[in-house]
Order: sequence, then C-alpha cells, then structure tokens
Amino acid sequence: MSALIGRSAALRWVHLVLGGALLMPYWLLGLVLLSSFSTDASTAQTVLLQFAALGLAVPMAAVTALVPVVRVLESTAARALGVGGAAELATVPSQSWAARRRTAVWYVQHLVLGGIVSGLSLAVPPAVVVLLLFPTEELIGRWLGPDRPPAALVALGLAVLPVLANAAAGAWLARTAPALLGPTPAERLAAAERRAVELAQRNRLARELHDSVGHALSAVGIQAAAAGRVLASNPEFVAAALLAIEQTARTAVTELDTVLGLLREDEPAAPGSGPTLAELDTLLRQLELAGVPVTATLDPGLAGLPGEVSRAAYRIVQEGLTNVLRHAGRVAAALRIELSSGTLELELSNPVGADRPSRPGGGRGLRGMAERAAVLRGECHAGPTGDGRWRLAARLPIEGEQS
Amino acid sequence: MIRVVIADDERLVRLGLRAILDAEPDLTVVGEASTGAEVVSVVRELRPDVVLMDVRMPEVDGIRATGQLMATLDPAPRVLVVTTFENDDYVYEALRAGAAGFLLKRATAEEMVQAVRLVAHGDSLLFPNALRQLVAGRRVPATTAPPRTDRLTEREGQVLRLMTTGLNNGEIAERLVVSPETVKTHVGSVLAKLGARDRTQAVITAYESGFVQPG
Repeated sequence: MSALIGRSAALRWVHLVLGGALLMPYWLLGLVLLSSFSTDASTAQTVLLQFAALGLAVPMAAVTALVPVVRVLESTAARALGVGGAAELATVPSQSWAARRRTAVWYVQHLVLGGIVSGLSLAVPPAVVVLLLFPTEELIGRWLGPDRPPAALVALGLAVLPVLANAAAGAWLARTAPALLGPTPAERLAAAERRAVELAQRNRLARELHDSVGHALSAVGIQAAAAGRVLASNPEFVAAALLAIEQTARTAVTELDTVLGLLREDEPAAPGSGPTLAELDTLLRQLELAGVPVTATLDPGLAGLPGEVSRAAYRIVQEGLTNVLRHAGRVAAALRIELSSGTLELELSNPVGADRPSRPGGGRGLRGMAERAAVLRGECHAGPTGDGRWRLAARLPIEGEQS
Repeated sequence: MIRVVIADDERLVRLGLRAILDAEPDLTVVGEASTGAEVVSVVRELRPDVVLMDVRMPEVDGIRATGQLMATLDPAPRVLVVTTFENDDYVYEALRAGAAGFLLKRATAEEMVQAVRLVAHGDSLLFPNALRQLVAGRRVPATTAPPRTDRLTEREGQVLRLMTTGLNNGEIAERLVVSPETVKTHVGSVLAKLGARDRTQAVITAYESGFVQPG
C-alpha cells in the first residue's frame, strides 16, 4: 500500500515532479524552434506541435546528460528521494563513455516519466473537481457518449490515474537505478583496488605497532609482574626491572612517534605536512633519552632545502634511528648530512648490537625508506659494513637548486 | 619439580619469566634460548618438562622449532607458546605443529605459573575458551578424507565433547558417572584414533572436522 500512497510514494512523486520540472526548459525550447515552422493555429496542429516538441526535447536532454557531473546530481536526487539504495548508486562523476551513456538513458526516462506524472498531477485534480461540482455538464457526454457512467464514478477513476502512474513510474525507476546510475564494472574494480591499498596500509601500520609498542608493552608487563612477585626476596632484580621498564617505555614512546608519523602521513587530507629537518634537534634529544646518543655532522645549508626533500630526509633519519634502537639497542650512532652539487647525502651508522638479534620482518622499515627516497628519484640502502657496523646511506636530488 | 626452558628473543621477557617461575617452589628454569635454532639444542641437552616458546623469533621461528622438537625428541617436552596477541596466525600454526597450549604475555604472574603447571600435568585443556575462539576464526582446511572422528565410539565422542569444554579427567568422570580410570582409557583411545599428541591436538581436530562447532 505504501507504494501507492504514503511516505515512500510521496518521495517518489517529488522525484518524478522534479523530472517533470527538468523537462520543461527542453520542451519549451523545442516549442520555440518548431513554432517558426507552424503556419496554422488549428487544435490538431497545436497538439501535434506539443508532441513534436517533446520528441525534440528527448535528444537534447540526452546530450546534456553526457556531462559527467549529471550522474552525481541524479544519483543524489535518487538516493535522497528513496528511488535507489545508498550503496548501489555511484557517488562520483562519470569517468567513461559507458557511464555517460547509462546516465543519459536514466536522465531521459526520469524526465519523460516525470513529465507524464507531473502532467497528470496538474490536470486531474481540476477535472475531478469540475466533474463533482457539475455532474450534468455536457462535457462528459461529449467525451464518453450518451451511455455515460455516473459522474462520481468517472471522477474516481480519473483520480486514481495519477496515483497508479506515480507508483508504476517510481517502481520502474527504482528497478533500473542500480544498472543505470550504479558504478560501472571498471569503477567497481578501481574501488576494490583502492580498498585493497588502504587495507595494506592499515595492515602495515598494525604490524609496525605490533612490533614496536606491542613488544615493548608486553616486556614491561612481564618485568613488572616479575618484580611484584620477588619484591621481598630479590630486591636486586626489582631495581634492575624498574630500570628496564623505564628504558623500554622511553623506547616505545619514540617508536610510537614514528608509527604515528606514518599514520598521519597516510591521511590524504594533509599533503605536504609533517616534520622537517628543522625538527631534527628534538628527535636527537629524544633518542639520547632513550639511550642512543647521536653524533651529528650537519651541513649548514639544510634550512634552505625544499620542503619535500627536508621531510623525506627527516623520516629516513627517524626510521633509521628507530631501527638502531630496535635492533642494536643502546649504542652510539653517527649521523652525517651533506649537500653537494644539487644532492643531499645522508649517512647513518652504528655498531651492530651483539645481544639483540633482529626480529623477523625487520626489513619493512628499510623498504619504507627506499620507497620514500624513490619518490624523489633518490635512493636509499643499508647493510653491514664488515667492521662490525651497520650503515644506512641515502641520496636525494634537490630539485630546487637545479632549476 | 617441573623443569622449564624459556625461548624468547627479548632478553627482558626471558628475565621476567625466569623471575616469575623461579619464585615458585615447584618450578625451576633450567635454561634459556634466544633463537629457534638455539632452543632445539638447549632442549636436547637439558630435557626440560616444559618449553615456553615465543612464536616470533629470528632464524628458526617458534613454529618450526616446535615441529622439530616434536619430531626429534621422545618423549617430547610440552611446549607452551608465548604470544603478545591472541589472534595470531602463528599461534594457531604452532598449536597445529604440536604445542600444548598458548599463553598471553599480558597474563598475570599467577596465570603464567598455573599454565606451566597445567601443561606439565597434561590432563586438562589450557584456556578452553581462548582456544575455541582461535579455532572459530579460521577456515577449516578442505580435506577429502572422512573425518577421523568417524572412528570414535559413542562414549569416546562424549568424552571428546567434554574435553573441548576444558574439563579434566576427574570432572569428566563425574559427568559420565564412571571411574576416572575409565575416562583415562577413553581419552587414551580418543587420542590414538585421532592421531593426536595431546588433548589440545584432539580438541583442534574436533573443531576442524566439525565434530564440535567452535562458534
């Protein structure tokens, strides 16, 4: 019943009246164009003219619907007025001719069906009123012949007409909306690929968190549990445990900072944001607190670097130092950043930790750094040097100086 | 006295676990290892009752180390997998490789101590609910062979069902109104018919074959 009258039918009626309203300018334009050919003002020719104008309106509407943004407007209207489900209609402008053609078909049927329902909605109520007020009017006789049914019955039949037309047109539009306004197979594929990329990024961050903060927190938890267990019997262990807890917590905060930095970077809303080499001092102080003193040799020209190079260099240093902390433990590191002939040369080295073998999957940070460098057409690699040290080297071209 | 070996690549975790377990009168930590390769040789030499095994270790991980221990030692020690997170694919693999149970690193000291005792004793299931959730989140590997649970008698099936809920032999005996000795015999033939090393393996088989619904 709600398909005939009620909220759902009312919304669909609004949608169809909107279509009828959209049809008007095309139709009027068609009338203007055709009336210049018309010579005779007879009723028959006027009616013919109206239909010819409608015929002319259809191709004009179809052509305007090829504009990509029409799909967004029509999808939004269909969704808001209960003609299509939210999930199945496209939310972006047409990106292919297939999508534009489908939108054109949709637009034409929306306008034509809308025109019919609007016309009925406008014409029927006055006719019904006239029939009920003047039931003996000869008008009915002229239309329906001498054996006419009672006027009230005719009025009722007439009143039902727009309701049925509205329900039928609304149902048809709702049925065809997913096929005509929904995403094309290519768009579905692209959306699935985007989701896969997002998922991969989320998984990477989850692993980073697992490896850094998860490990640190469970070590802290176990140390604290053990300390509580032997509080009276082994005060030496308790003291050592407290120290270890303090250091592990500091390290974890540093690593968390790195991961959160990655998280913020993955947000598309903030391109070109993030710390630059200007914040290197803070980072080095933080590392020193966590147990990795860094001897830094920095080129005086670093402040004048383009933002993207400076940011990439900062991230590489940050991830490199986090790796030192993670894999070598509390050792001294040496950092050197030099600018020469339009290139930034970065080198970070540290002794390989003896008692902290690297965790499996520890190469992810390195790959991230290499990707970061590759974006700027630079390079980054790392490995043992043979004399018991680990060396991370990166080279980033500085675009600004060459142009 | 239950003899324990701890395998974990984090020194702090090893130290903490050792302090917790050594504080108990009936437990003693006899050795440590920091890689999966090391743990195999340490266990071969010291023959502990229980191995606390970190799943993620460099070189040979906890899963492969567990498999090697099960394949090369008889009697093999009970392996208790230690993990940071419970929804860990590695934990499941380690259980399939023969580990007797798993322990979360965030467990309380009391839970850790109890877990070691329970696994060493071996007559009831460790954390039945956690095990159920772990199995419920998995796709059952497709197999064409008929489930081995087909070979169980009705009574053995009842015993297996009660085993999945975490009851020990004494509790199962009470439920079925039989003697604990009879239950022990049934459990033995369930393990034999399913080809399971211990209760944990039998329960995993019960879930995976659909004999018991993990949901």
